[in-house]
Order: sequence, then C-alpha cells, then structure tokens
Amino acid sequence: MSRQPDFSTAPRPHRPQLWDHAALVAGVAALALSGTAAWRAREEARDAGVRLAEVRREVETASGKLRALAGQARVGAPVLPAAEAPPARIVAALASLLPGHARLDGLSIDYERGGVLQLNVVAGDAGAWDLFLDRLGREPHFREVEPGPESRDAEVRSLVRALWVGSAP
Amino acid sequence: MALLGTRVYLGLDASAVTATALADGLGRSRPRGFARVALEPGALAPSPSGANLPGADEVRAAVRRAVSGLGGRRVTLVLPDGLARIALVDRPSGVDPRDFVRYHLAASLPWPASEAIVDVLPAGRGRLVGAAVRRATVAEYEQVAAAAGLEVERVHLAPLLALHGLMRSGARDAVHAVLGDVAMCLVPFHGGSPAALRNRRRDRSPGEADRLLDEASRTSAAAGNGVEPVRLVLSGREAARLRREIGESVAEQALAGPGSWPEAAETAWVGGLLS
Repeated sequence: MSRQPDFSTAPRPHRPQLWDHAALVAGVAALALSGTAAWRAREEARDAGVRLAEVRREVETASGKLRALAGQARVGAPVLPAAEAPPARIVAALASLLPGHARLDGLSIDYERGGVLQLNVVAGDAGAWDLFLDRLGREPHFREVEPGPESRDAEVRSLVRALWVGSAP
Repeated sequence: MALLGTRVYLGLDASAVTATALADGLGRSRPRGFARVALEPGALAPSPSGANLPGADEVRAAVRRAVSGLGGRRVTLVLPDGLARIALVDRPSGVDPRDFVRYHLAASLPWPASEAIVDVLPAGRGRLVGAAVRRATVAEYEQVAAAAGLEVERVHLAPLLALHGLMRSGARDAVHAVLGDVAMCLVPFHGGSPAALRNRRRDRSPGEADRLLDEASRTSAAAGNGVEPVRLVLSGREAARLRREIGESVAEQALAGPGSWPEAAETAWVGGLLS
C-alpha cells in the first residue's frame, strides 16, 4: 500500500520486510552468479588463447614441413623439357617394341614428374602381351616399368607405367 | 503469500478496541485476522486536548485481548476520529507540505502549534488532506499500547485511512460520511477525489439521521453540487442504522470490510485498508 501519514511521536525508519530480505538475498545471489560466470568465462578465454597458440605453432610446423617436402619433391623429380622427349620420338620407340598382335591405345606423358608415361596397351593374346613387357623392360630408353592389372579374356588390356629416360645412360 | 509480511493494526475508539492483521502483498492487503473488544462507556474519550484515556487500565486490558490472537508485538496504531484538526488544502509549491498545513491550521488548534504533529495525505487534483494532532495526545495512546507489551511502529489516523481507501477504490460522486464513535468526516467526492472536507463531532441523540442528511445537503451545495438531491454514502460506526433511518434509496454504505468480519463494518478504517 502507499505511504500513510505517520503521527508517531518518535517516527522510526522503515522496517525491512520479508520482501526486502528476499530482494537482498536475490541480489546477492545474482551478484555471486554473475561473478562466477565472469570468472569461468575468463578461464575459458584463457584456455582458448592457449589452444589457439598451440594450433598456430602446429600450423607453422606443418607449413615448414610442407615447404621442405615440396622442395624435396622438386629435387627428386626434375622437370623434363619437352624438347628432350618429343611425343613422336616416344611413340616411335614404343611402336618398335610392340609385337604384331599388340597395339598402343593411349599414351600420356607427365613432363612435370620427369617423363612418367602411362601406356594403354591392348594385346591380341597373352603371348603378345608378355613379349611387349619383355621388350619394354629390356629397352634402355625406358625404366621403372610397372605393369598394371591385366584383363585376360579374349585379349589383354592393361595400363603400364614407365619412365622415359631417352638417351640417358 | 504475504510478500511484504503481515502487519497488525490496532485501532482505539470510544466504543471498542479493534485489531486486525493484514497481509501486505504487491496489490491490495488481504485480511488475516480480526478482533473487536468492547469498552465500557467513558473508558476512552477521544478529544483533541486533555486526557483521552480515563480508563487506561481497562483500555490496556482490551488491547491485550484484541491482539492476543493475532500474533506479533509490533503494531500500527490507529487513532480515532475526534483527535485531529483535518483540512483539505491546495498543494503548495516551493514549500514543504507539512509546514504549509501547520501554518494553515495553527490558528484553529486548541493547543500551541509547536506541540502539533503534522502530516499530509495526497488527495488528487493538486490537493492534500492535512492533519494535526497534539503530541501529548498521541503519546497517551502510544503509552497504553506499550503498557500492553506492544511496540508501536507507526501511528495513523482512522479518518485518513478511510479516506485513502475511498480514493483508492474510486469513490462515486456523492457525499461520503466517514463515521467514528465521537466524530465524523463529510467529504463530497467529484471524479474520485475529495472536493471538500468537513470534520465535526457527532451528535448521536435522536434525530441524528435527519441532521446528517441536512448537513450532507449543505456540504454538497457548498462544494458546488448545486441543488440536486444529495446522494449520501455512509461508512463506519452505525452506518447501517443511519442508512435505514435516512432511507436506503438515498443512502448507501461503503467500506464495510470483508463479509467474514461483520463487525469490521463499524470501523471504516479497516474497510479503507482493504479497499
């Protein structure tokens, strides 16, 4: 209720009521909760900062490793100038190795990786296929011959990887 | 739930000591307990000056009985109508309202103004109800409560509690008569606010109803209500009897308190607290 006139001979200050006490307790509780929440948030921020620093260090380390590996990759597989391995010459070399019942269906040359070849070969029978692989392995222009999986139904189809070394010793 | 606690009000008047416990909430107060203990005639005689409690021992015993069932020893004392000088004044600007009321009432006080305790009740429309009570008289009532083992927290005036209840409940436009045992207030209300205020002692001899109606008519006319038939709203001591005598088509009753406390209708301030 609103304030009523007071005619006491000795007016007294307002006596705290249950509501006043409840409000005080609620205020103290809210203050404690907000303080706890602020402390937790500060701790979480500190932990997040530590984790961020660790991740940055890992990223820097990984970047260094990546740069080193890229350098090594460039050193291990030098670029092959196209002038040293013209496709016509490679095709001519391969054609000289193919038996009568075998043909070259496709050829890719990766100059960036030092002249890696991928040969799509179709042989009329297993004998022609084996003969081609034998010749390819013996031919000094080619190294690191890796026959792929073979399909030997009526004819043999396979992907062969090899490295063109040209006239290198 | 009593969010703001329970407050015990102890009212004294010539006919009885009344105690009520009200639970203060965020809205209106709710009744928790009520007791009324009758006094022998002459034990308590409300007067603006002089002794009010010739039967102080009987009054003290009645106070103890009244509050015994309500619990607690802290009380708000409610002084009866007939002690104070009461006036409706315009709210002053640039002056403390209490000082203004003290100045306004000083000439009419039957005791030195320096002995007056003055306070005010906002009455709406830029007006105040100011009241002045003699300090020695208040002390007499405080002492009887203290002698009964009670601690008096605040002291209110019964007619101001009733007026506040009427204003808070949006009293209808009529002349409201707030009746105490020995005095009464006649207050014409316009638009929910008092337009005038007369405070006078009662004459309870035969014919009081007719005299009251005549006085209400004069008060209404003086307050600017013209010559329309007066509408009278009665509350407090013997309001029901006077309403029957005046005629229920002319007079109504207000501030009767909760129905569960029929005797509360005799004390308008209880109805004022609960309105």
